[in-house]
Amino acid sequence: MAEAPATRSAAKNDEQLLDPDFLARLEQLEIVSRKIHASRQKGERKSRRKGESAEFADYRNYVIGDDLRHIDWNIYARLDRLFLKLFLEEEDLNVSIIVDVSGSMAHGKPQKGLYAKRVAAAMAYIGLCNYDRVNLCAYNDRVTDFRQGLRGRRMMPQIVKFLEETPIEGRSHFAAAARQFALRQSQKGVVLILSDFMDKGGFEAGFRYLLGRNMDIYVLQVLSPEEVNPELAGDLKLVDCEDDDVAEVTISKPLLDKYKANLQAYCESIRSYAMRRGASYYLAVTDHPFESLVLNYLRQRGLVR
Amino acid sequence: MSFLTWPAALMAASISVPLLLLLYFLKLRRVERTIPSTLLWKKAVQDLQVNAPFQKLRKSLLLLLQFLLLLAVLLAIANPVMNFDRQPERNVVLLIDQSASMKTIEADGRQRIELAREAARDFVDNLAAGSKAMVIAFSDRAEVVCTFTNDKRRLKDRIGAIEPNDARTQIGEALQLAVAYSSSVVETGATGGGFNPESLQVADIELFSDGRLTDAASEFVTRANMIHHVIGESADNIGVTAFDVRREIDRPGLVSVFAQVQNFGEKEVTLDASLFLDDRLKDVKQITLGPAKVATSRPASGDDVVAAGRNVLFEPFDHDAGGVISVKLSRKDAFSVDDVVSGPIDPPRALRILVVCDREEEKYVFRRVFQDALEISDLTIMGGEEYENAAEDQVAVEGRSAFDLVVLSNHDTARLLPGNYVFFGGLPAIDSLSVEGEVEYGYFVTWREAHPLLRYVALDGVYTIRWKRLKFPDHAARLIEGDDSTVMALITDPGHRYVVFAFDLLDSSFRMLPAFPIFMQNAVDYLAGGAVTDSNKLIAPGDTFSVSTPPGAQTMTIVRPDGTEEDFKIEDRHTMTYGRTREIGSYVAKFDDKDKTVETYCANILDATESTIAPNKELTLSGQAIKSVSGDVEVNEPLWPWAVGLALLMLLFEWWIYNRRVMI
Repeated sequence: MAEAPATRSAAKNDEQLLDPDFLARLEQLEIVSRKIHASRQKGERKSRRKGESAEFADYRNYVIGDDLRHIDWNIYARLDRLFLKLFLEEEDLNVSIIVDVSGSMAHGKPQKGLYAKRVAAAMAYIGLCNYDRVNLCAYNDRVTDFRQGLRGRRMMPQIVKFLEETPIEGRSHFAAAARQFALRQSQKGVVLILSDFMDKGGFEAGFRYLLGRNMDIYVLQVLSPEEVNPELAGDLKLVDCEDDDVAEVTISKPLLDKYKANLQAYCESIRSYAMRRGASYYLAVTDHPFESLVLNYLRQRGLVR
Repeated sequence: MSFLTWPAALMAASISVPLLLLLYFLKLRRVERTIPSTLLWKKAVQDLQVNAPFQKLRKSLLLLLQFLLLLAVLLAIANPVMNFDRQPERNVVLLIDQSASMKTIEADGRQRIELAREAARDFVDNLAAGSKAMVIAFSDRAEVVCTFTNDKRRLKDRIGAIEPNDARTQIGEALQLAVAYSSSVVETGATGGGFNPESLQVADIELFSDGRLTDAASEFVTRANMIHHVIGESADNIGVTAFDVRREIDRPGLVSVFAQVQNFGEKEVTLDASLFLDDRLKDVKQITLGPAKVATSRPASGDDVVAAGRNVLFEPFDHDAGGVISVKLSRKDAFSVDDVVSGPIDPPRALRILVVCDREEEKYVFRRVFQDALEISDLTIMGGEEYENAAEDQVAVEGRSAFDLVVLSNHDTARLLPGNYVFFGGLPAIDSLSVEGEVEYGYFVTWREAHPLLRYVALDGVYTIRWKRLKFPDHAARLIEGDDSTVMALITDPGHRYVVFAFDLLDSSFRMLPAFPIFMQNAVDYLAGGAVTDSNKLIAPGDTFSVSTPPGAQTMTIVRPDGTEEDFKIEDRHTMTYGRTREIGSYVAKFDDKDKTVETYCANILDATESTIAPNKELTLSGQAIKSVSGDVEVNEPLWPWAVGLALLMLLFEWWIYNRRVMI
């Protein structure tokens, strides 16, 4: 908790969230959605639905009730039969990025919160570049801040500002935050959740709210190297930074082994939960350079292309 | 198992145990560490606790180990010992045998004295705190090595300094000392008013010896408990137990050497006995000796070994000068001190014989016997009065009789210079020899033919008119017995030997029979023969010898067997006495007079009891059985090194556990 203000300012001053070169490379990427999104606005994306874009898709027989505007008159002239000309529908994509800014994210070297913010910024930028509708949401035990409907590259500074100014503090309660988010963001689309999931309330309830909205969920669990391989020794009183909960441990090899096994099991349980419900799961350890995470790892795993 | 210094351990425990607990609880102030979430840690701890047996114990495993470590150290401080009967405080006298037999090399290559010292030191270690002990080392004489003290270290130091010598084992003096000293302790101990008979208890006597005591039959233990710690095992020994060097009477240039060799071991052995004259080999005899037998009935002294012995007579050889003759045994055995004997031999001189008689017939008989039969040239014949009135220098040399043999016929005398005498009819004026009456027409009933004096002497035809009924002293050897009185006896007194015949020579046919010259030959051989080799120049280790100082000598130098020299100022003394003779070998007394007189004395063991090195496990003193502690003495096997080792092991284990626990 004590470290939180320092890391926040470090995020502001020392390092930019994203550097320009990286941004340039991000421009080539786009976010993949596997689901059909019924957006009210026409967007920049091809839809699987046939629609009203300039791009031709197919013909079909006219049935009564079809829009007369879409009848191919040239064919009617030649064949004296009514065919309907079908075009590819273009629609826009709702990209929602949910960032955990609870106290636990302030830990780790590199800091998990900063890492998550960077990933969030990168994904947002990709979204903006592809003229998607980008929604940003920060939460701890509730949604602390929410930006909706950002579109276009010029919105980037807003996003950076938003991320930089969001403090990392408080207890985390993913379920409550997910519920609030689901209420506010009713449209379908891609949801990227960035969190360490160190949440004593569990993660399942939160997912259920999002799944209920039929959203295309991507989960990125952010862990610090210290969490994966704790460098602890001796008799310790471990204090939870969020709720001041205390665990008295005497570090021993069996204990460390047990901890690692538990961590792995926990990550696995999130992954399998997500996979079974059609969501994607990614694990990021903060000592893994986030540029490579975004450019390679997420690309390989199909979140971006 | 018991603890020698448990109060010290208790004290240490009362300090260190609370200290350890205090330190442990201080140590348990855990370091606070803020972590992102305790979620997984709590789960891990719970899982571990559920799975681990003895979880509570495990939690404080280090404390437990530290406790064990501390316990081990405390155990070490408590000085635990095994095989220890806690004894009450007591006063103990340790008698440690330092006689020749303690030089025996045991099977493990150590001298018996080392075993004795070790046993004594172990015993001292075993003594309950507050007990007092004194140490007496003894051989033929006793010496207080350490007076009563409870300082175990001092006792052990002093015990360690005891060295063996070549003297015989005589416990008498040591016992007297022990009783005397321990009584004084009791006196000083009883400080309270009034006499308490309980306090008159004499200290316990602990004897560390092989139990071969030459005076076992004549000593006894008064008012004290004596425990005999039997030292030693080996019995393998062959020793020279008798030795004699003499010149032939008729041919003084010829030296004959006799030695008795005995086997005290259990096996038959064949060995060489070599004769040396001044370290030049003269003769070698091979001897085979059977094993020693174990006697079925034990004599009072506890001697249960009857050694197989053989007499060795070496080839006589011509030697006209003085020198030292030695006999060495070729076989190495456990006890080497008795493997060599030596004796000095003086240049030959003619025998001098004095006959004191008044009657012509006697003079004639003696002249015929000595001059014609025995061919002795230096024969002096005196009358009785002449003998009594003779000037001192006529009959005496250096305080001894000037004659090798004095024969007195029908003459009582009190002029008895140290020497050898044969009395016919007359009597020497000595105590406990008196006339009780007269026997007429008696006859000789029995005589000891085997005695050297009567060898080949046929007394069957001797006819004697009368003889005196004599009362001989108890120690006299009665050689000829009449029907109710002793006719002839040999009385051996210090410096004197008397052969006393109860009859007058002229009252008997003895003088006319062949037996008479044969007897005189025997008498000269037996009594005067020793004079050729001065028998008092052969001494037992520890004996003193006296040397007459030659005129003009200012200093006497004694060359000891190991070659060291000791100088003594003579001043006006006529005889010098030397007593540091506990090592065997020759002691050469050199004088600085113009003749450069040299006298050699040889110390030899020549003691079958000392040579019997097999430990006597059933020691009796004057028929009183002494309790023996045989073989290994019950010792306080100190266990504290084990405890310290355990502590170290604990430390290592704890270190390992600690490291394992923090290992990542």
